[in-house]
Amino acid sequence: MIYSDNKKVVLRAEHISKSFGSVQALKDVSFDIFDDEIVGLVGDNGAGKSTLIKILSGNFPPDEGSIFLEGHKVNFKSPIESRKMSIETVYQDLSLCENLDSISNLFIGREVCKNIIGFNMLQKRTMEKRTLETMAKIDINLPSVKERVEFLSGGQRQAVSLGRFVAWGQKMALLDEPTAALGVRETRKVLDLITKIREEKKISIILISHNLQQVFEVVDRIIVLRLGQVIGVRERRSTTADEIVSLITGAVFVNNKN
Amino acid sequence: MQKVETISSERSAKFFRAILDNIGWLILVVCIIVFSSTIDGYSSAQNYINIIHHSVFIGILAIAECFCLISGKIDLSIESIAAFSAIFSAWLCGTSTFASGYLVNPFVGLLIVIIAGTLIGLFNALLIVKLRIDAFLVTLSTYLIFRGVATFVTGGKGVAGIPDSFRMIDTIRPANIPLVVILMFILYIIFQTILTNTKYGKHLFIIGGNESAAYNFGINVSKVIFITFVVSGALSAVSGWLIVARASGATPAIAQGYLFEVLAAVVIGGVSLQGGVGSLVGVFAGVLILGSIHTALNLLAISPFLTEIIRGLLVLVAILLDNIKKRFR
Repeated sequence: MIYSDNKKVVLRAEHISKSFGSVQALKDVSFDIFDDEIVGLVGDNGAGKSTLIKILSGNFPPDEGSIFLEGHKVNFKSPIESRKMSIETVYQDLSLCENLDSISNLFIGREVCKNIIGFNMLQKRTMEKRTLETMAKIDINLPSVKERVEFLSGGQRQAVSLGRFVAWGQKMALLDEPTAALGVRETRKVLDLITKIREEKKISIILISHNLQQVFEVVDRIIVLRLGQVIGVRERRSTTADEIVSLITGAVFVNNKN
Repeated sequence: MQKVETISSERSAKFFRAILDNIGWLILVVCIIVFSSTIDGYSSAQNYINIIHHSVFIGILAIAECFCLISGKIDLSIESIAAFSAIFSAWLCGTSTFASGYLVNPFVGLLIVIIAGTLIGLFNALLIVKLRIDAFLVTLSTYLIFRGVATFVTGGKGVAGIPDSFRMIDTIRPANIPLVVILMFILYIIFQTILTNTKYGKHLFIIGGNESAAYNFGINVSKVIFITFVVSGALSAVSGWLIVARASGATPAIAQGYLFEVLAAVVIGGVSLQGGVGSLVGVFAGVLILGSIHTALNLLAISPFLTEIIRGLLVLVAILLDNIKKRFR
């Protein structure tokens, strides 16, 4: 376990770099995520946020650099490895199977089964029950958990996708634009949910969002990326939206407080 | 997140969806009614059993194709694996001039062709999974290759002289129901259970619905595709072997056109050509529809040359149905 300032470091990224052909998406990115905190990862389009999330969730490896999870160096060769280490990722595109119901979507890749004569038989009732419990926690009214996801509204689909975080999140969760497609009321519910789950599970969360107002509401710290580099890390309490915007865009920040 | 109110337009949409999903059975009922009222001797228990009896080969191939399509892939080689297995079985077990002369026991023959079919399926799977070549292209090649092998091995001639122990498989009727019909029922029940109640079946739907999500959540996509194409090869081999029992022999042209009948049957039966949707219950209806139409044509003594045209029309109807369903979503 790594400690910094007497705080447990759940995730440490050291000198992460990643290029796609001639485009350098990430350059020498280093940061710590502490135990039981929500960190906002912000930056303009093309800043490298999604690339960073994909590396952390195991979709592809960095070109350079190391990642340490609770002090141990990790080398994810596929998303399942990050999941096995209790990192839960909620993707920006939701990663839902439209042709299947909420239960199936919640349990993708972790279906509850019983081995009967060599076949993995699905325990449907168990999974349905768990799905209903999870959806109740999210305080969402689904017409039916057995309804195909393609017939659900945008907010309901987002809820199903977030359900994975609620049901399975343990050490670390990566939430990529969880409120992107939602209206005001729904966004409020999601932010409350994130806070509630964090309190309940003492889980560390990296939250990517374009909406600084949201970010300021729920996070403890903010990491700003610009053009693939960490341009600043701030405590939420000691910064302002203006300062963050200026870091994101690279404009000069004039502190008018004096 | 708002509570969803089921407005009347949504309810009627659900109704239409339910109809489209089960349209196979509706069409089957319509066909039976039409044929029964216009053709003498159509509506008899014996005729219905005959319909299913004739549908056995397409029926078994349809199970394989259904699984492949649900996973988002297609297997065009099923017909040629069946044809190759038929020729191979006949060659092993037959007594005519162009047979091997080994007079292999039919059940040993069955085992041998199942192994052969499994290997061909394995070959398909390797190219699809390891080399990442489109399933359509890979199985198109195997479709051509193994049809060619079947013709080449027998020098374009047929094999006959199938022993009674082999032919018996098709003629035996416990409780007046053909054994092969019982076999088909059992296979459908087993495979439908696998489809709807096992992890493998669920993964088929996931991969067909959103392959990148399957990958993101740790599903071993390669393994699932491998299993699917290997089983497809094995089932096609079984079908081919059964054809020999019926036809008491095999010619290079055996099973010609079966691929299109199977595609028509599965699409009418509700399997989406895009993947992620399908059920063997619907496929069974589709298979029976094709069988009913065949029997009707036979009884009406329609020219066999018309069969090709009708088959093509059926495939067209199936494709249009698939298109309508897509629009409705």
